[in-house]
Amino acid sequence: MGVPGEGLAKGLAVTLKTMTRRSHTHQYPDQAPDLPPRSRGVIALLAENCTVCMLCARECPDWCIYIDSHKEEVVVPGAARARQRNVLDRFDIDFSLCMYCGICIEACPFDALYWSPEFEYAEYDIKNLLHDKDQLGEWMATVPPPPAHDPNGEPAKEETAAAKRAGGESPGRAPRAPR
Amino acid sequence: MAGMPDLREVTVGTGAGLDTADMVLNIGPQHPSTHGVLRLRLVLDGERVISCEPIVGYMHRGAEKLFEVRDYRQIIVLANRHDWLSAFSNELGVALAVERLMGIEVPDRAVWLRMALAELNRVLNHLMFLGSYPLEIGAITPVFYAFRERETLQAVMEEASGGRMHYMFNRVGGLKEEVPAGWTRRAREAIGEVRRRLPDLDNLIRRNEIFLARTVGVGVLTASQAAAYGASGPVGRASGLDFDLRRDDPYLAYGELSVPVVTRTAGDCHSRFEVLLDQVYVSLDLAQECLDRVDRLTGPVNVRLPKVVKAPEGHTYAWTENPLGINGYYLVSRGEKTPWRMKLRTASYANVQALTTLLPGCLVPDLIAILGSMFFVVGDIDK
Repeated sequence: MGVPGEGLAKGLAVTLKTMTRRSHTHQYPDQAPDLPPRSRGVIALLAENCTVCMLCARECPDWCIYIDSHKEEVVVPGAARARQRNVLDRFDIDFSLCMYCGICIEACPFDALYWSPEFEYAEYDIKNLLHDKDQLGEWMATVPPPPAHDPNGEPAKEETAAAKRAGGESPGRAPRAPR
Repeated sequence: MAGMPDLREVTVGTGAGLDTADMVLNIGPQHPSTHGVLRLRLVLDGERVISCEPIVGYMHRGAEKLFEVRDYRQIIVLANRHDWLSAFSNELGVALAVERLMGIEVPDRAVWLRMALAELNRVLNHLMFLGSYPLEIGAITPVFYAFRERETLQAVMEEASGGRMHYMFNRVGGLKEEVPAGWTRRAREAIGEVRRRLPDLDNLIRRNEIFLARTVGVGVLTASQAAAYGASGPVGRASGLDFDLRRDDPYLAYGELSVPVVTRTAGDCHSRFEVLLDQVYVSLDLAQECLDRVDRLTGPVNVRLPKVVKAPEGHTYAWTENPLGINGYYLVSRGEKTPWRMKLRTASYANVQALTTLLPGCLVPDLIAILGSMFFVVGDIDK
């Protein structure tokens, strides 16, 4: 070992060097953090896309999604009989239970759920973390477009779907002729 | 140690040396110098620890039992939480076990991305302890430097996975999705930045006299003791156990890399700290190598899975070199979509067992130094 106090001197040198640099931190409430589009802040719901298939609620590891619906008859002109359609009454996510794993979003076959980097929804009472479909719908506005994939990998499913549509092929769910 | 006065203990008696009763002291389950809720039941003779019994289980969340009623994608959610500082590596072990049982071959690009992310996760984990350990024994400054580096790397992890701690980026058969365009470049930049700034942390603490006085020769765990308790990872390697699964039983594609294994022989708190610090440099290099490889590989990062993932009947044991040591996943499946049993062997659980031999004989202030240097996460002990 070298001179006594060498370790301390080295440490102080680091501190001095850092003192001359710009601060590394941001003053949060004044300066918003720069979050990447994939950030898992909150789950937003695009209620129009939801068909009440319940896959998200079933796949959720701690069952924090609550869905209620009723059936409605839709009379299609020209069809022999009226068709039934599921109408979403309630779509609640309890964010006090949510583990932010994103399985519901992955499981959704109709792209009704999205991640948003929005995170400022802290509450004073844990009860208030249960958010309904109106609140979840409001968060849709904060959903950023997904980032482009690395060109070495496979393109995002959004891109392939769009290319298919542009190519004239029928998109994932072709509008079926009424029976 | 030259330059440091030999410590000598002098017993100064007053009066006719009264026999004092031993005191039983509970450190924890809530105590500022324990991480989380590890409880130590100490028997003290004055300042000296006579015996120590780690009492675990305050944070038991029944993870293994929960695994039995969750499908494999849901298990990944739970598995990345028991050791919250090495979430990616935990996910990886589960995915590897399931993939082995199902006979899935993971695409090359996913393998190398997984390795890159696992090494970044290792750096993140080590930086946490490199900051918190000095903090526990009184050095407040290093934690700021450690967290500055953590933040840089976390940004990279977040960009790819969307999470800062619980990445949830592994899936059976690969990764959740492709990384964003330009991610590998930004990851490399972050690694470069951390590597450039790491000497700050190194200079602050590694050879600091006060730090040396608190850690050198304190809490010596011999190689045989470490082996007897099943200590692994940085704790085992600091005692001279030259064992690293990345080299000795390569999983993923570690066989194609030469993994330098950092070891020390002293087995004291300082060598444990040094192993951790040196492993950061090693892991940064490995992560960089993996990223270079990723850039040369094209193709998918996952395989198409059936709608319901069922592991065929059978059992397998996958083990990985997690940041804190060896994590083992014993998976028994009866062909259901949930495992029949999934046993976790966690590094922290084995490592803290050594406290029973490590602590008796030491002084109470050394206890903090030793406890902190065992580098454990209570969630990983209690599961």
